Amino acid sequence: MLALLDAWLLAPFEYGFMNRAAVAGLALSLAAPPLGVFLMLRGMSLIGDAMSHAILPGIALGFLFAGFSLPIMSLGGILSGLVVAVLAGSVSQMTGHREDSAMASFFLISLAAGVMLVSLGGSSVDLTHVLFGSVLAVDTTALLLIVGIATLIVLMLAIIFRALVVECLDPLFLRGQGVRGGLVHGVFLGLVVLNLTAGFQTLGTLMAVGLMMLPATTARFWSQRLEGLIALAIVIALVANLGGLLLSFHLSLPSGPAIILTAGLAYVLSALFGRHNSLVARHRLRAAPLNTPSTD
Amino acid sequence: MARLTLQDLQLARGGQTVLEHLDGSFQDGAITALIGANGAGKSTLISALMGMLPPVAGRVACEVSRERCAWLPQQLALDLTFPMSVEELIMTGTWPSHGALKGYCAAHYRRGREIMARLGISHLAHRQLGELSGGQRQRALIGRTLMQEAELLLLDEPFANVDGETVEVMMEVLRDMAAAGATILVVLHDMEQLSRLADDVLLLAGGHGRWVGTEALLDHHTGQPARAPRLPIDFSDIHHAGTA
Repeated sequence: MLALLDAWLLAPFEYGFMNRAAVAGLALSLAAPPLGVFLMLRGMSLIGDAMSHAILPGIALGFLFAGFSLPIMSLGGILSGLVVAVLAGSVSQMTGHREDSAMASFFLISLAAGVMLVSLGGSSVDLTHVLFGSVLAVDTTALLLIVGIATLIVLMLAIIFRALVVECLDPLFLRGQGVRGGLVHGVFLGLVVLNLTAGFQTLGTLMAVGLMMLPATTARFWSQRLEGLIALAIVIALVANLGGLLLSFHLSLPSGPAIILTAGLAYVLSALFGRHNSLVARHRLRAAPLNTPSTD
Repeated sequence: MARLTLQDLQLARGGQTVLEHLDGSFQDGAITALIGANGAGKSTLISALMGMLPPVAGRVACEVSRERCAWLPQQLALDLTFPMSVEELIMTGTWPSHGALKGYCAAHYRRGREIMARLGISHLAHRQLGELSGGQRQRALIGRTLMQEAELLLLDEPFANVDGETVEVMMEVLRDMAAAGATILVVLHDMEQLSRLADDVLLLAGGHGRWVGTEALLDHHTGQPARAPRLPIDFSDIHHAGTA
């Protein structure tokens, strides 16, 4: 039994690439879920998705110029993500259209442009790699970059945490204190972009957003406190990361989808059996109205 | 003494002048009621007082530091799905003076509990904002301003959709804050509440403001507060030029 556990859980980490992937996942699991919690609470769950497409052209350009160099590709990703965010914001301000329509337009353009650029310079294997990630590619430089970005995100989030909470709950309170809500919003979106660029190496651009959103939406079924949501989302992300990595190792699955599907499984189970607002919790509420003791 | 004064203030929204030639001062330790019909510019003036709307001309002179300026929003402006308990909301009153990172100490928690006890919401400390009634939520919000030790307090229709008992508690709290020297400005529609609460009245109409005593709002015949917010104030000496 112990030998089986060892073979399944520990032996894979004797490989250097699994170790690096696990540490990268650990770092991402600390940084991404808190961002996802705030995105969810602000009703912006799909913005992460849009931003994940927005970083693609930059990553592709970096790939064209420097090959598979994570620092260059990440820099490209950050730049193109920020450009799209700013463009979408200014187009919506200029035209008076809602920001989500401008965002949708720009991220579709970005996705097409990104895929086109990667195809111009590489094979379909490269394209799959950029879109869906590969743990094999996380070398020490990449690992340092991922951990560095994750640390920066956690620190920045701590600094803007209170402003972010107030901006979600009661924007005018923040405005009354002379803090521009737009600034907090901008820094927050910047952190989302940073996080996605850090995540794309292991998870791919399209999957990186999953590690942000799924743990957050799953935690919503278990906690009604902000601290609880964040802590739980981090734990879920950690478990999904390690579980997904092991699955991908043993069953020869692509790592990104394996990790995200593990988190997705947690979401589905929570939606069914969670403590708050799940199917079962709602059924229980309906079964016991008016606090009357049940007779059966 | 007045730490908040208006000097020939002109305010505009979307290129349209809403208020002009607004002068006067809000006395320390006094509760000033801001009244006027819908669209008279009450919210515009509040925005300007909070520094959110730059004046077209003139200025708002405010000597109260930002962290002591508090604001009680209309409840519609709150995101009630946000996971936050009553106690947590009240503790956020320390944030303006604490900044981004400074934590709470035991004294803050004690003060928070005292505030909740005074407002009669101790039993709701761990309830989520979304689960409260309008009155309970309003008490929690005024608790935040108490925690903030506000010296300038702006309230936008604080008694709308609020039960009678909460109105009484809040009036008492506001009177105490004023007695302690705070400058309080409250947007009101109910003349009866106004006559009980306000020391001064700033009436906005036709793009102008007029300071009146609360007695001007009493019914001429009965001596009781007029029920409807009718305007028995003579504006004939003011030119209604270029205003909506």
